[in-house]
Amino acid sequence: MSDSIDTILQESYPDQVLIDDYAREAAKIVGSENVSINQADLLSTCRDYWPVNSIWMLEGAVPALPQLVTWPRSTAEVSKLLALANDKKIPVIPYGEGSGTLGGVIPLRGGIMLDLKKMNRIRSLDEENLMATVESGLNGALYEEQLNRAGYTGGHFPQSLRCSSVGGWLACRAAGQFSTRYGKIEDITVSLEAVLPNGTIFSGRSVPRTATGPRIDHLFLGSEGTLGVITSATLRIWPLPEKRYLASYTFERLEDALETIRLFMQAGTRPAVVRLYDAQETGNHFPELGNKRCVLILLIEGNTEIVEAEAAVIKKYVLARKATDTGPEHVENWLEKRFNISVASVLFQKGAVLDTIEVCTNWHNAHSTYLAMQKALLAVEGTLLASGHYSHVYPEGAALYMTTVGFPGDDKVNFYKNIWQAAMEACLAEGAAISHHHGIGLHRGLWMADEHGTGLLVLRRIKKALDPHGIMNPGKLGLEEARKWQK
Amino acid sequence: MAEVNKEQLLNCALCPNMCRCECPVVQVLGREATAPAGKARLALMLEQGHLAWNEEILEAVSNCLGCRGCATLCPFPELNLGDELLNTRLKSKEAGIGLPACNPYLGTLKKFGSPYGQKTGTWPAANKGAEVLLFAGCTSTANNPASIGAACHLLDKAGVTFQLIDEDCCGYPAAVWGDEDLARQLAAENKRKMTESGASLLVTNCPECWLTFTEHYPEWNQEIPIQIIDGPSYYLQLIREGRLELKENELTAVSYHDPCIWARVAKKVTEPREILRAIPGLNIEEPYSSGEATRCCGGGSMFQLSFPQTAAAVARRRLAEFPKDTAIVTACPFCREGLLQEGRPVLELVELLAISVK
Repeated sequence: MSDSIDTILQESYPDQVLIDDYAREAAKIVGSENVSINQADLLSTCRDYWPVNSIWMLEGAVPALPQLVTWPRSTAEVSKLLALANDKKIPVIPYGEGSGTLGGVIPLRGGIMLDLKKMNRIRSLDEENLMATVESGLNGALYEEQLNRAGYTGGHFPQSLRCSSVGGWLACRAAGQFSTRYGKIEDITVSLEAVLPNGTIFSGRSVPRTATGPRIDHLFLGSEGTLGVITSATLRIWPLPEKRYLASYTFERLEDALETIRLFMQAGTRPAVVRLYDAQETGNHFPELGNKRCVLILLIEGNTEIVEAEAAVIKKYVLARKATDTGPEHVENWLEKRFNISVASVLFQKGAVLDTIEVCTNWHNAHSTYLAMQKALLAVEGTLLASGHYSHVYPEGAALYMTTVGFPGDDKVNFYKNIWQAAMEACLAEGAAISHHHGIGLHRGLWMADEHGTGLLVLRRIKKALDPHGIMNPGKLGLEEARKWQK
Repeated sequence: MAEVNKEQLLNCALCPNMCRCECPVVQVLGREATAPAGKARLALMLEQGHLAWNEEILEAVSNCLGCRGCATLCPFPELNLGDELLNTRLKSKEAGIGLPACNPYLGTLKKFGSPYGQKTGTWPAANKGAEVLLFAGCTSTANNPASIGAACHLLDKAGVTFQLIDEDCCGYPAAVWGDEDLARQLAAENKRKMTESGASLLVTNCPECWLTFTEHYPEWNQEIPIQIIDGPSYYLQLIREGRLELKENELTAVSYHDPCIWARVAKKVTEPREILRAIPGLNIEEPYSSGEATRCCGGGSMFQLSFPQTAAAVARRRLAEFPKDTAIVTACPFCREGLLQEGRPVLELVELLAISVK
């Protein structure tokens, strides 16, 4: 390329002769219109929404470049494309909508971006068993829209709904904002269809449960493109809810609110949305409530009688803790603004570095992990703000979502690494899990050994068995070293 | 030349692009380079000087219909990505880069004053000096001259004395294809003819012409010294004044397709529906997306000429949103052209009015 675009993390490229051969043979599989070495396509698929990519973008750099983009239209085409790449030992990175936040799609070693956006159909809608079989390249909001038009919901609403794909949800074990009622993506998934690096296609059975050994298809949930390519999934769907109940309460102390949530979750209620903000985030997101108290917002939906019963049970627990009822309007505000994260664009332009770090705690360490991570983040030179909220709750614990903003001066990437190092060390010291739903990608791979212990060796053996040539999304999920980033 | 607003490009390029589900181009092409932020990032790299112009980059940043679907979900109220991309493309000419798909049409536009070639058709005798000037537009002239006849019939029925002029293309095609000099020349010529016409009210049935007259002519220092009114508003005014009386026609059920520019820029979503409701015996069934949330027909930014396959794919996607058994009514010659492709009855609003007027 004659342009002045740095490729900061590029480790290597396969020989161009191999790529040229691949392009010719791939064109026979998918048609020449579905194979591209167009510079615009290479530049556009080389990144996701990892904040470090934004730092580099402002400097006119990209993380790394692929050598070819291809768009399969069917599982059979994916199979042939993968077998061909496997034969030539060319890296392949599955690509959906590029909404990941940890650098999971960066083509560190060049190769092929397998863009799944042309696999975007709902193959079947099973209204008797309430299941939809959907291809992995379909945009999340458009999936939900098609279900809504038929009278159903998919129950999965990540903040990235409008900019993520079904395959992306599956590949990173996503969680939606309504997950306490509908479940995380692994709860919603009945079965998967995936293609192994050697082209083997397999499908799980779309039955509620099996006791026929480990579910091989579910192995792909959270595999982040390192084991093969998810091509479709059969997902649970629900009739559109009859009733929706909104409520919000404020608490003087975060730990009182956490205890309240523990009690109503362990009593058996399953509100769709349970979000508890610390005082700082309450002030940021709900300025009308001030920044002295912590707000809990609740959304319950579904069958009318069940909703009313759950609302009554939850209210009993909440009021027993001397919470203040602040009405439904704050939840309505949240519903309206929940997809607006324009602040990131604005702050990056002002020289800030910001990120969100989500971890998973049990109830016994839910509050202490928050305190420890906040303290660690604030101790990093340049940090201006470290706040948190809890957003996905279980009878056993909750997801904690820390937000941090800093103005580090020139060395923004080093600052980014420092805040993550501080946050992950604090999280691990408290016994929390290093990720709840954003996944691992490139960056969080640095702590996979700490997270898994010997479990990582098992994962690496599975990877070696399924992908002996290591073509699938190399350098990710902590399965092998990402040399330039780990340096 | 209008400058690229780098701050707005950055807003888009750094944003997670929650709008991409409303970008019809990326949804039908599946190319990341045509997603709103994909295009914004390429435009930004050009603006930063890190990327040099070539045909591949120009083709990618040209892949915007200007439909402002992304704007319906955009958190930045000042951001108009279509305009930023258009201003970006204007710089390609300086770099000596043009799109092969557009160059023949630019040549035709220069030669005939219309991207469709030699103008044909006969119009009613000119009423030089008439107060109302009807601007026919080159797309209606080329693809559906009957709609101009219908407009003339309506104006006659309403007792409006009007004139047509030997108009040139409004210039919008030249601008979207990166030739601002030609766009300005066409604008200057139209302004001269309109000024000399002596008219005081300019009526246009084409939303792209309306947008060009109202937004781009002032940017090009060619502001027209005549009041400009969109077709739907003008015909509704005539109905409200009792100058057009309407009767039943053979159609019983219609669905109105909101053209993007009328709906999202001019905010004309109630006017056409009020017109439809004024026609006796007509049921109105809305498509899935309507009003300001309408979805593009594929005809924006001259895609039917420069990217015909994309235009057709976007139109098919939109057609799937309509009830099965209605006639589609719209108020834009590009929308009519796009929505015709599956053989459904599609009428322009003026054509429906012409068969409904007493």
